[in-house]
Amino acid sequence: MIRFGVLSRIVSIFLVFLVVVGARAAEPVELRFTVWDGDQALIALREAVNEFERKYPDIKIKMENVSYGSYFQKLLAQYAANVAPDVSMMDPPNFQRFAKRGAFLPLNQFFDQVPGFNINDYYKQIVDAHSYHGQLYVLPRDIAPIGLVYYNKKMFDDAGIPYPDGSWTWDFKERPELKEKDFMWVLHQLTKKNAKGKPTQYGMVVGWPGLLRDLFVFSQGARYTNGEEDFTKLTYDDPRVVNAVQYVGDILNKDRYIPSPSEMSNSLQSSATQVFNSKKAAMYMCGIWEVPNIREVVKPGSKEFFDWDLTLAPAYKDGTAKMSTGGSGYGILSSTKHPKEAWLFTTWMAGEQGMMAMAKKGLAQPAIRKYALREPWIPGPNTPLDQQYPKNRIATDQAVDRVVFFSTSEYWTELGGLVDAQCERVYLGTATAKEAIAEGMRRANIRLQAIQQQGGLSKFSWMSGLWVALAVLVGAIAWVYWPERKIRRTRSEKAESRAGYMFIAPWIIGMIVFTLGPMVLSFLMSFAEWDIIMPARWRGGGNYAEAVGTDPRFWGSLYVTMVYTLVSVPFGLLGSMLLALLLNVKVKGMPLYRTCFYLPSLASAVAASLVWRKIFAQDGGLLNLVIYGPHGDGNFLGLASALKGLAAPGQMINWLGREETSLLSMIIMSLWGIGGGMVILLAGLQGIPQMYYEAATLDGAGPWRKFVKVTFPLLTPSLFFSLITGVIGSFQVFTQAFVMTQGGPNDSTRFYMYHLYDNAFGGLRMGYASALAWILFFIILIFTLVQWKLNKYVYYESDTR
Amino acid sequence: MSIDNQQQLDQSIKKAQAADLAGRITVGLLLLVGSIVFMAPFYLMLTMSLKTRGEIDTTSVWSWPQTVTWDNYKTVLQNPNVNFVQFFKNTVFVAALSTLGCVLSSSMVAYGFARIKFAGRDRLFILVIATMMLPGIVTMIPTYVLYKYLNWVNTYYPLIVPAYFGGGAFNIFLLRQYFMGIPRELDEAAILDGASHWTIFSRVVLPLSGPALATVGIFAFIYNWRDFMGPLLYLNDPQMQTLEVGLSTYNSLRDQQWHLLMAGSVLVSVPLIIIFFVGQRYFVKGIVMSGMK
Repeated sequence: MIRFGVLSRIVSIFLVFLVVVGARAAEPVELRFTVWDGDQALIALREAVNEFERKYPDIKIKMENVSYGSYFQKLLAQYAANVAPDVSMMDPPNFQRFAKRGAFLPLNQFFDQVPGFNINDYYKQIVDAHSYHGQLYVLPRDIAPIGLVYYNKKMFDDAGIPYPDGSWTWDFKERPELKEKDFMWVLHQLTKKNAKGKPTQYGMVVGWPGLLRDLFVFSQGARYTNGEEDFTKLTYDDPRVVNAVQYVGDILNKDRYIPSPSEMSNSLQSSATQVFNSKKAAMYMCGIWEVPNIREVVKPGSKEFFDWDLTLAPAYKDGTAKMSTGGSGYGILSSTKHPKEAWLFTTWMAGEQGMMAMAKKGLAQPAIRKYALREPWIPGPNTPLDQQYPKNRIATDQAVDRVVFFSTSEYWTELGGLVDAQCERVYLGTATAKEAIAEGMRRANIRLQAIQQQGGLSKFSWMSGLWVALAVLVGAIAWVYWPERKIRRTRSEKAESRAGYMFIAPWIIGMIVFTLGPMVLSFLMSFAEWDIIMPARWRGGGNYAEAVGTDPRFWGSLYVTMVYTLVSVPFGLLGSMLLALLLNVKVKGMPLYRTCFYLPSLASAVAASLVWRKIFAQDGGLLNLVIYGPHGDGNFLGLASALKGLAAPGQMINWLGREETSLLSMIIMSLWGIGGGMVILLAGLQGIPQMYYEAATLDGAGPWRKFVKVTFPLLTPSLFFSLITGVIGSFQVFTQAFVMTQGGPNDSTRFYMYHLYDNAFGGLRMGYASALAWILFFIILIFTLVQWKLNKYVYYESDTR
Repeated sequence: MSIDNQQQLDQSIKKAQAADLAGRITVGLLLLVGSIVFMAPFYLMLTMSLKTRGEIDTTSVWSWPQTVTWDNYKTVLQNPNVNFVQFFKNTVFVAALSTLGCVLSSSMVAYGFARIKFAGRDRLFILVIATMMLPGIVTMIPTYVLYKYLNWVNTYYPLIVPAYFGGGAFNIFLLRQYFMGIPRELDEAAILDGASHWTIFSRVVLPLSGPALATVGIFAFIYNWRDFMGPLLYLNDPQMQTLEVGLSTYNSLRDQQWHLLMAGSVLVSVPLIIIFFVGQRYFVKGIVMSGMK
């Protein structure tokens, strides 16, 4: 017995030892998790992640956040390099392109793996929007109906209108007999205008005009496409859509119940929330995500406070109520090594813990209905006072019954975007809905046809590709050394030549190791159809033919870029030279001035774009203030009458909002950057030996002669540099348009690089984008070689030619 | 010299003095007005960073803060999502090391192109410039894959090492232009003394190129300090991020916190302003070439 006892003790100790060692030996699973959320949401997510790690200590989570604008670029790069995260945030417009290509795991296989998980707990709408051909690819975490109306109770009181209860309806005309049951009547009543007809209080502000259009379109039962997961036809030309677009345009520009996009440019980054928060509009139509942005400003007890609440957007006159919606969730990348753990984590983050953490901060409406019906999402007795607003949050649940998703087809964003860009002109009041949609449809159909005809391409032939690349490389090297073929060098010249190569060796090595490979690959891809996720397919010269032949925006974007370059480079050069000369004068405090003129290049790009918005704003913008005076009827230096052609009749110039002036505005903006050129030329000025000026003074030369005979010739090396790099840079101008105008209005600032970027990451057409890039490369090369002829006139002190 | 002439001379001196004064006033006025206009973005950043969120939403952007608050700075500096102090260190590390590489290697390469005659030089230089002509968007993914094969993803190498191999066509070109402006006589004298190219480069050309080297150094530093796409793509670990990427946390899709974004932007810009302010002395440090002949 005793023996047995000892034995069992030994065995059990051994077992415990095994378990301990085993536990030590098993590495904890590490999951990488990426989201695009901002600061506030990250705090909530981290809370849920920490809780998960406490409960499952053998799973470690690495959370990474990337802002939405670059999120997909990074994910694509990681996927292409096979270092993708395990779990990634996704949304309906974007998941299909990943899912269809097998980058995301279908999730239905996991449904029974986590006890208590039931897909039927989720709002069906958002589950459907994340499914493709019956498979779920993204587990929803939130749904965000876009058609909630925040309203300022005091403004309703002042107008003597009862608070809305969501039972109102709309029609294409105002129906005064229905009073507060008619949405248009309410809008009208709440809009106050001054004697000149300029609104001093708007009836409503919208997050963006398209959301009102979607509400009008969907409530009439119309759609933009003839299918949801896939579609074969765009249906924007449905008269119900055309009428809705026109109606939105009229409300913005004729009735002026809602500030139009050009009027919005007065506020910060056209943030509609600020219009509502600063009591300039009685209602605000948007989504639930704006609650924290309002609550943080309109705080009880602060001087910004007013009583406000939430209601549902109106239904159509026949009672049909629909609205568009957003939403998001988490998907599992098919490259993950730990699908089970990833699923466990996904159900946690897109489950009670993740949703409650977000709901507590009022950030996102839980995708599981039961959590969307209880505290903290719905205010209750435990909700702190400052989070009581808005009280009627149950409206968010009612809104879900009304939501309509756009097509989740991977082509929707690109094709819809082509028409939406044209609709912008209607919202700006520069086109009718009929003509804008006709033009948008024409462009979208060209692209749609190309999409429908694609396929049937053969595999990318790497062998022939490599031969092409090799031929190009050999050609380039031959071109470089062609002039050398007859030159015989002496021994010392050969040594000199070797020394030269020693000095440029770093560049040669860097070129071969870091630059050449990617360049060659992009050249090869210009003959391919390549979406980054799937293997490339051979397209021959198809990309180039498409660019110059059928792409409806290629020539336009090239033209815009040419005009920009030809105007902004000479003016920029002149400006930076004058500035450099000015800042080279010996005056007290000069270091301070130099720094001031360079500040725009040091300040954040966001702040700079804000400043320009304020300068170019139609109403109250600095530029118009100078031209038209504070009352809008002035005529500074006759500018107002001289520039009459640029403004809409009876209005001030809408610099960024009209096709006639948007490019001009971009050029003016580019002059802001002359500080960079100034620094280069300033350095060039210092390189001019003082003795030349002394000699010129002795010859009795005046300042002008000194400039012509000494300064200018000796500055030519720096000017030549500025010219060449200026042209190269401005052919690739991008950021301004990306931040300020998104290429609009009507593509008037759609620079070549913007077009390229849009194709690369908007349409996932890396092959086509590569062709565009190489076309641009050769255009710039030709321009540079032509300018290189000027090298003859450049005065190099150490001339060795 | 007659009295008449003397009077004429006096008059012309007076005229010249008056013209000089008028010139100085014009210059001063131009400088003043210009610098006020160019300071606008910084003014906006600064004032917005000192306002409460409520005030930003409800008052004109140009207005001075009603009550100056430093809370935004406190929040930004203490936010655990954006570990500002850590990011600051990371950014200094990356920007300093890559700037060093940039200046070293671009000046070397530029010297080769500017002052040594070697086979294929002029056309090879066109190739250097040509590398600037291909938009980076289309090489981004292949470059990322390349760094993955080097095992450099989630390290600082992709942000630092390439700078040591050429330092960028822009910088090479800039320095090449400057080096070509330095009189030949100087190195000929040195060659007679038996100096090698390396000696001429390090003892003659570099010491004479203060303004151009300062320009390249400052441009490279600002570029790397401000770089967004590089760190964003190559760094995964949140603790390794740089300031510019950290700032974007305040400017996300549906959550724009202007007050914090601007406070962060001021903190990110101030080191650059100081560096520029100090560095600009070197742009204009008169070169003592006049006494050479």
